[in-house]
Amino acid sequence: MTGYRLAFARRALPLGPDQSARVLPWVLALLVYVAGLGGIGLIVFGDSLRAAEDALVTTLTLQVPAEASTARLETVLALLRQTHGIVSVHLLEPAQTARLLEPWLGRSVSLDDLPVPRLIDLRIDPKGDTDIAALRRQLASVVPEARLDDHRGWPQGAHAAARRIRGILAAGITIALLLVALSAVFSVRAALMVQRPAVELLHVLGAADTDVAREFAIRSLRLGLLGGVIGAAAVLFTILALSGAGSIVQLPAQSGNSGAAAGGITDWRVWGALGGVASAAGLIAMASAWAAVKRRLASMP
Amino acid sequence: MAVVELEHVGKRSATGTPIIADVSLTLEAGAFYFLTGASGAGKTTLLQLITLVERPSGGRLRLLGADTATLDRDARAALRRRIGIVFQDAWLLDELSAADNVALPLRIAGAPEHEIGDNVAELLAWVGLAGRENARAGTLSGGERQRVAIARAVVGRPELLIADEPSGKGGEEIALLLVRLFERINRLGTTVLIATDDIGFARQFEHRRFHLNEGRLLDASAASAQ
Repeated sequence: MTGYRLAFARRALPLGPDQSARVLPWVLALLVYVAGLGGIGLIVFGDSLRAAEDALVTTLTLQVPAEASTARLETVLALLRQTHGIVSVHLLEPAQTARLLEPWLGRSVSLDDLPVPRLIDLRIDPKGDTDIAALRRQLASVVPEARLDDHRGWPQGAHAAARRIRGILAAGITIALLLVALSAVFSVRAALMVQRPAVELLHVLGAADTDVAREFAIRSLRLGLLGGVIGAAAVLFTILALSGAGSIVQLPAQSGNSGAAAGGITDWRVWGALGGVASAAGLIAMASAWAAVKRRLASMP
Repeated sequence: MAVVELEHVGKRSATGTPIIADVSLTLEAGAFYFLTGASGAGKTTLLQLITLVERPSGGRLRLLGADTATLDRDARAALRRRIGIVFQDAWLLDELSAADNVALPLRIAGAPEHEIGDNVAELLAWVGLAGRENARAGTLSGGERQRVAIARAVVGRPELLIADEPSGKGGEEIALLLVRLFERINRLGTTVLIATDDIGFARQFEHRRFHLNEGRLLDASAASAQ
């Protein structure tokens, strides 16, 4: 008999039909749908935030008063070009500045009559460790009224808000996955009640707890994966539908891809998130079933 | 060599009422025994202790050379696989075929399918159910169910075979047939213990008898039965 246990050709222990197999995949599909949308939301939000941060953190605008002389303007430009960490200096031509002001002033107003400051667009290396305070002091010594707009102040606040939003999305995903575990436990408990005569007989005939638990765990894994695949497919359809309906969802890979829906779903992270959530549903259902059955069997002598 | 040794074993119900008390009993390897006693005397409880379906409330139980009090769950399961049990009501899984019911102990033991098929067919023929392999257990008659249960009990070549009222309500003719089957198994070296409340029936045979009365194994009864 010992030799039998070493044999590899095994058939599953006979448990009867499982009524929960009808309902559980759909419950898990709904939860995977919620978790999957949350995962995609995290990706989209993270990308959008990163893009905004990159734009804000690397851009400074210097306003030089209109009355500043050309010589002082040249000195300022020279100073900026020599400053460590500044990678580009671009003096906007009056025509460019006029275009920027057009929405507020209209086309009929001549800027020649207005004291419009000269704008200098600066790009800095985000890792360049530029000393903005020292730059301000140096600029003030050349043109006291010059104003350097540093946009890097408010992303700190945005970071806190972003953390909260990420936290909410992550909490949603976590709750959905916890509900997957709970659903699997309730389902396997119901199955254990229905299968009680078979389980007790297997126990009495010498089935090890792990052998019986494995049967339920494998069954739950299958149901969990089925629910996961259905839920993940529903998320994909949702993304395609929303992308097709006027780019409501701007998926990461779509940037620079004129909003083609396929651009989003070819992003490996989307597949990674959906595959991860679907797999997690299967594995969580399996582990929950395993634990629930082992606990139930432990009550048998 | 003793297959089963009970020393002052007792079992109480969940409410604390003694079901069996201070039972000492030794079953020798290869022997054939009857356990008699009226309904409610504690026979089934004693068998449940021996088959590790229940744990004793007190005393010491050694089974197939192992002290059962010190065994972990896997070791208890492994020990159960060395025991064949015929339950009073057969206890088959009705949705399975007769062959699949018989194959249960082998599947639990992880036997390869080709070995299972050969053994099961042979045993079903041996208990007189050749050709009924694929019949669902739920469609079998009482006598057929009991024979499937016997085939299941012996398919794993157990060292100890326990039968609790194996004839059920089948009458003396079926009971006699089953005892003859058990005797053939016993001749192959398996220790057999049959519980019955029909003391007169047990007395027809030359086998040693133990008698339970209100949870106590009466020494005088056991001695006189020898």
